[in-house]
Amino acid sequence: MILTPKIVARLVIVGIFGVLLQLTFFSQVELFHVSPDVLPALVVSFGLLGGTMTGAVSGFAIGFLLDCLLIQPLGGASLVLIAVGYAAGTFRERFEIHSRLVAPLMCAILTFLAELGFGAVEAMFGIETDVSVLVVRDILIKSIFAFFLGWAIYAGMRRLVRPALVDEATVRRTRRPTVLGA
Amino acid sequence: MYRKQVRRRRAVLALLIVGSFALLTITYGQGSSSLQRGVTAIFAPASSVLDRALKPARDLINWVDETFDARGKNHDLEEELRVARKQAVGGKAAIAENAELHKLLKFDQSGAIPEGTEPVTGRVIGLSPTVWYSTVIVDVGSGSGVAVNDPVVNGDGLIGRVTAVTGSTAQVMLLSDHSSKISVRIVPAGVQGMVKATVGEPERLVLGFLNSVKNIHKGESVVTAGWHSEGIESRFPPNIPVGEVTKATLVEQEAQERSIVRPYADLRNLDTVQVLTGGAHQ
Repeated sequence: MILTPKIVARLVIVGIFGVLLQLTFFSQVELFHVSPDVLPALVVSFGLLGGTMTGAVSGFAIGFLLDCLLIQPLGGASLVLIAVGYAAGTFRERFEIHSRLVAPLMCAILTFLAELGFGAVEAMFGIETDVSVLVVRDILIKSIFAFFLGWAIYAGMRRLVRPALVDEATVRRTRRPTVLGA
Repeated sequence: MYRKQVRRRRAVLALLIVGSFALLTITYGQGSSSLQRGVTAIFAPASSVLDRALKPARDLINWVDETFDARGKNHDLEEELRVARKQAVGGKAAIAENAELHKLLKFDQSGAIPEGTEPVTGRVIGLSPTVWYSTVIVDVGSGSGVAVNDPVVNGDGLIGRVTAVTGSTAQVMLLSDHSSKISVRIVPAGVQGMVKATVGEPERLVLGFLNSVKNIHKGESVVTAGWHSEGIESRFPPNIPVGEVTKATLVEQEAQERSIVRPYADLRNLDTVQVLTGGAHQ
């Protein structure tokens, strides 16, 4: 991705809007007793479109904003989302993304790992009570939601930053011109 | 050139990770930093507007979820109704217990709000997205008189306490948070104990007893006891309804000295809440 000031501004707006939407909408709705968590999927999309640096920096910024707005200890969510963004970016830089299923699958897998990561950060400071096995169900369902939501988020993000995508430019250049009367 | 790029990437990554750990170390255990207060002050109005705008969409999705749930519960409820009918003709003891429960249900309207406290009504404008933290953000803060440790209730009973405040928002740690501990009393048995959460199951609180020879029974009510000691940060005024005992077999009580409580408040669906400010708990 070619990061121009316009594209950076778009990414910042998407990040802020994503966090606000998570807190005011997704965290407050339930399907099968589980609320979707779109933030790891959003960071995965950043990483898959922009690479490791975009992924890691966006992960840090989104986590930081989340912790600020939830008045939580700063840095916990950032730490997890940096890893998510970096992993997605590494995948983008090492492999060609041929299938449309790659992005949603990455969203699902990395959401699963991110939720475990949030638990690990919390465990680092001590969990003083019982942990139900239903946590596993919760994390699995969140990952399934992330698969479907990730699909839409990735498609939307791709559309939003299309002018900056290197592979899109290549496709545009190699597209054959229409020959009238042929 | 490529090596230089790789080195730069690694440096940025290391910087971000070190930065996160530094922030975590500095801010862990503190209420709210000036940075957080500034950021929330900027985004709280936007959150509030989005929260109101998205309420119909949220209600629609939650209605779909509840409809699925209700279909599954229908059979169970019919079974429960049959058992309840048998119990209803079970004698004066059951009727008396029923009257006690009925009285407690009315408690919130008649006098559940402790004397000397001023309820401040707020709306939930943010909820933590992961299963590991059970905190909500409400749109009232120190500007409305809200302070750390103020109890927070809704129409059904206690939901938690304020753990951090900014000028316009407050963080409420719910009963279902893993670090929540509340001193409670069981009514009418009078047994005292401590309620803790189960991570991942907001409808299941674990009640630990404090050396009592009395037994408690399913359906008995749990209210705040009003005392605090080492390890229990609860400074709630007494007699705020907390929940109902759902599992209290004699064997379980004797073997483990603990029981299961379901909170009266639906901690998954919180909208309007009241912060009880200015109490003697400060």
